[in-house]
Amino acid sequence: MADSTTASAPKPSSSVKLVLLGEAAVGKSSLVLRFVNNDFQPNKEPTIGAAFLTQKCQLPNRIIKFEIWDTAGQERFASLAPMYYRNAQAALVVYDITKPSSLVKAKHWVAELQRQASPGIVIALVGNKLDLCEDDGPEQDQQDGEGVDEQQEDEVARKVSTEEAKAYAEEESLLFFETSAKTGHNVGEVFTAIANGIPEASLKGPKGAGAGTQSAISAAQDSTRVNLNAGNGNAGPKEGCAC
Amino acid sequence: METLDRTEWDVVIVGTGLAQSLLALSLSRSGKRVLHLDANDYYGGEEAAFSLDEARAWAAKHAAVDVSSSTHSHAAITTKQDDPTPGEGGDRPRLASSRAYSLTLSPHLIYARSDLVSTVVSSQIHNQLDFQAVGSWFVLHPRPPAFSITRLSRVPSGREDVFSDTALDLRAKRSLMKFLRFVGHYEEQGDVWEAEKETPFPTFLEQKFALPPSSHAPILALTLSQKPGSSTSTAVALPRIARHLRSLGVFGPGFSAVLPKWGGLAEIVQVACRACAVGGGVYVLNKGIRSVEKERRDEEPSAHIQLDGGENVSTRWLVGLDNDLRAVLQGRPARADETVATSRSISIVSSPLASLFPRTSEGGPIPAGAVISVPSANADEPPVFVLAHTSEAGECPMNQSVLYASVALPAEQGHERLRQAVTVLLDNVTERDPQEGQVKPEVLWEMAYQQTTPVSGDVQIGDDGVITLPAMAQDLVFDDGVLGGVKQAWQCITGEGPDVFMQFDAREGVGDDELND
Repeated sequence: MADSTTASAPKPSSSVKLVLLGEAAVGKSSLVLRFVNNDFQPNKEPTIGAAFLTQKCQLPNRIIKFEIWDTAGQERFASLAPMYYRNAQAALVVYDITKPSSLVKAKHWVAELQRQASPGIVIALVGNKLDLCEDDGPEQDQQDGEGVDEQQEDEVARKVSTEEAKAYAEEESLLFFETSAKTGHNVGEVFTAIANGIPEASLKGPKGAGAGTQSAISAAQDSTRVNLNAGNGNAGPKEGCAC
Repeated sequence: METLDRTEWDVVIVGTGLAQSLLALSLSRSGKRVLHLDANDYYGGEEAAFSLDEARAWAAKHAAVDVSSSTHSHAAITTKQDDPTPGEGGDRPRLASSRAYSLTLSPHLIYARSDLVSTVVSSQIHNQLDFQAVGSWFVLHPRPPAFSITRLSRVPSGREDVFSDTALDLRAKRSLMKFLRFVGHYEEQGDVWEAEKETPFPTFLEQKFALPPSSHAPILALTLSQKPGSSTSTAVALPRIARHLRSLGVFGPGFSAVLPKWGGLAEIVQVACRACAVGGGVYVLNKGIRSVEKERRDEEPSAHIQLDGGENVSTRWLVGLDNDLRAVLQGRPARADETVATSRSISIVSSPLASLFPRTSEGGPIPAGAVISVPSANADEPPVFVLAHTSEAGECPMNQSVLYASVALPAEQGHERLRQAVTVLLDNVTERDPQEGQVKPEVLWEMAYQQTTPVSGDVQIGDDGVITLPAMAQDLVFDDGVLGGVKQAWQCITGEGPDVFMQFDAREGVGDDELND
């Protein structure tokens, strides 16, 4: 694990655990892949393999390093373990704007986070697959335009209106964006908004993630931790993976 | 929700206890298609960790006194408050909200030299786990005949401790040092102990090392033997004390054993299952198996399994605990193994019990756990062991603590012994509150239950493709035999050699280099 002494950059850098949630196949992993690699893979298989990605987000006065936890497909049969969202400081709850049931599921996840996760978690509600709705991309920059009727004509595939989701997000104090992982539209903005939304008080340097509700005693917490890589016997690590 | 109907698997694993979960992880990384089911809506099986609400539901389900088909029985909760609503108001210490707790059925100590530690490291899952130190061992001395007069003293576990121990006279100190030196290399000194294998350990200490009876309790505490001292043999005690001493200092000064933060082995389960899912394993909670039909296909055994909800799946291998599989496998012989009953309790205490967790070294980690041995005044009765966890272990809110007590007696006698031991322990711990001076710690909530486990268990690999894993033993210390069974099952299913078991490269994917900068 990282040591705080290495954080000697001019800007303070903090780690933030961010969990992805949402119905299967709404594009959770694709959003992250766009954000981390600026890449998109059509017809992506359900997520296995990549479960833990990191990406830095530069803010004017600090650097946020996202530790992004993917669901590893465990949402498919409602089998995500509590450790998945424990201590998360941010969550990306994703739905598919062409699939109303996915917004229902997203609302369920928001409720679950409000019940289970650390208080003060920053939640962003993200409607993905904007690219499937014709002409929507450029107009989206003006946000909810007036011509609702006109839009519905154009957007063959859209099944969840911006207004509906946005109203819900406001009610629950969530950040709200509509994105396209395919075109990259709004993807960076989501993460920047989350980074800006994390209260400075809950950031504690490179080991910050994981303190959660016990942030007030973070100093003490760090020193209860046993470093298994410090082993001097045969129980020690074989790979030098964790500096 | 997707359906599992008519899916085919290499391995279907029933139950998400520790053994099943480690097996699932190892198989997923060997390219096997793994379906991992649990009839419960939580992970962990018999090693689970619970919020208060979940514990209440669990206790209701395990309140029965029938021990023939279930590991856990006789569960009962007592709480001081009828209304455990959270709140700051009132002077009395209160329970916090249900989810502020993560109480574990498996508060096992893991010695630094345990294979479990090397396995979580070699499989990389330690990156998502936090381990904390178990610092001090204490003995709550009964002074016969009355149990009420007791003394809490730290057990010397190393050279420095022995010298600074004020309870021992110089002669006893010398004897103790001689004994500790001997245990460090006892295997090479067979002449000292091999003829005494079956000798009760206290007799051995007295005869071979001239250790006075007053010094026996601390030494017995280090064995963590749940048998009475008089029936703990020398052959059992020596390797256990050696294990303690050899684990000292492995991961830092001042401690020999660790505990996983957030709920004991349950946490390792969750992380292993997640890692298995990352490797392609499919997880379904809240789904048990209804029936199993076996057949041979292309000379290979296979099983058709009907799941709760009616879906049918087929698999080459079916794995689970004997308890979980026996009900659905026709013609399975009833459990003939000899079993042992242990009473256990979990107590939430209203204060941090700070004096149980002194720093045991300069620069080492602050302990989050402690062990308290409470020998019976009657030498023929088994001792109570209490594992104490601070709030730093992530199982209770700040300013509270959790006591996990156990004794090798059935519930009828055991629960009373546990309650007594916890009461005496709390009577002997002085808590100072900065505002109010001394405060008396009290038990806010307690759950007692009985655990019935086979005396010995081996993995059983049937030629019908059914593998049964043994239930976790009653031991307070994680038994490496569990891991041995998992490895055996994995070798049988994959046909791979033992050297690559759970040896995985870091698998963080993109951005890995940034992870550790």
